[in-house]
Amino acid sequence: MRCHEAKKLLEREGRGGDLFIENEALARHLAACSQCSQAMKVIRLSSEILGALREEIEPGPSFYPRLRERLATSGVGEAGSIFQAWGLARRLVPALALGVLLLAGVTIPLGGFRSPLPVRVGRTTELYAFSLEELNLPAAVERPTQDQMLAFVLMQADVGGARSEMPGERSGK
Amino acid sequence: MNDKKKNHEPTEESGEQLQTEARLIQQAQEGDQRAFEALLRLHDRRVFALIGSFIRRRQDVEDLAQEVFLKTYLALGRFRPGAPFAPWLKRIAVNTCYDYLRKIRRRPEVALDDLAGNEKAYLSAGGESGDRVAARDLAERILATLPPKDRLAITLREVQGLEIAEIARALGCTRPAAKVRLFRARRAMQATLQRMIRQEEQMGNHSRRSE
Repeated sequence: MRCHEAKKLLEREGRGGDLFIENEALARHLAACSQCSQAMKVIRLSSEILGALREEIEPGPSFYPRLRERLATSGVGEAGSIFQAWGLARRLVPALALGVLLLAGVTIPLGGFRSPLPVRVGRTTELYAFSLEELNLPAAVERPTQDQMLAFVLMQADVGGARSEMPGERSGK
Repeated sequence: MNDKKKNHEPTEESGEQLQTEARLIQQAQEGDQRAFEALLRLHDRRVFALIGSFIRRRQDVEDLAQEVFLKTYLALGRFRPGAPFAPWLKRIAVNTCYDYLRKIRRRPEVALDDLAGNEKAYLSAGGESGDRVAARDLAERILATLPPKDRLAITLREVQGLEIAEIARALGCTRPAAKVRLFRARRAMQATLQRMIRQEEQMGNHSRRSE
């Protein structure tokens, strides 16, 4: 066995892998190579001293009375009501959020937030009404048809039959 | 699987025990302090063992355990009924230990001269002396030179026998990041030990020559 092979096995041991003490080739190598032998010693030692940190400790007799005292003095004795309030809040917040979303979902499609003005009045004119009152103004009346206009002109002509000649008009007399 | 890990796997809790635990949690959430204490008594040894792997002095272990249990009491309202309690409590304990490790001053390095007589003897015997106190002192001395998260990683793995995924969860990092921390901590620890062994050998050779 060569050093790099031994090193791989040693690293595996360092990671808590299988024990390789039965590996004869490695044992022979370790006996011959001082460097690998020392690396092995370090890995084992490291594992040993960490193992010494494993200890069973039980709480002392004064531990729980002291804890009770601390729970009482630190004002957490009413923790139950705090927990209940917190639990209630946890349920209420999503319910409120859902309510707001539902309301918004219903109002927006109905056009609740859209103003009806300005409205274009008449099909051919570019007239707009910017308030509900303006809808009833004469300006909002539709453009007259050609027949209406002709009737208006004839009516004017009848009314003004005795009208004086306009300046520049030739007299037939 | 190595034996050392198997020995430290938490024992499977029976259905009856889980039911008792669930009932106690519910009562404690309603503000019953006695139920809370009974709940803690089911888990206190594990919490003490965890804290004890970071701190030596018994009084300090108890102080930190008090802090863990107070935090647990305050956070119990947020505990989801039906969820496993032990990992949740362990997480609080690990976070508290991490806060503690961040507060204490990190040693820059450990040299052979810093060691006490029994630690030197333990080291020169290659750990064969079986002096558990010396081994523990030596471990603490070396671990005190590591960054808090690296120290947490190696202790949770080697002493508490936690899986990488659990360590990652406890450290709030990814599994590869937890593995890197573990690797780095092992390397640093082995390098320190190797340096001290060499120093010790050099001193031994020197004293032999002078004789």
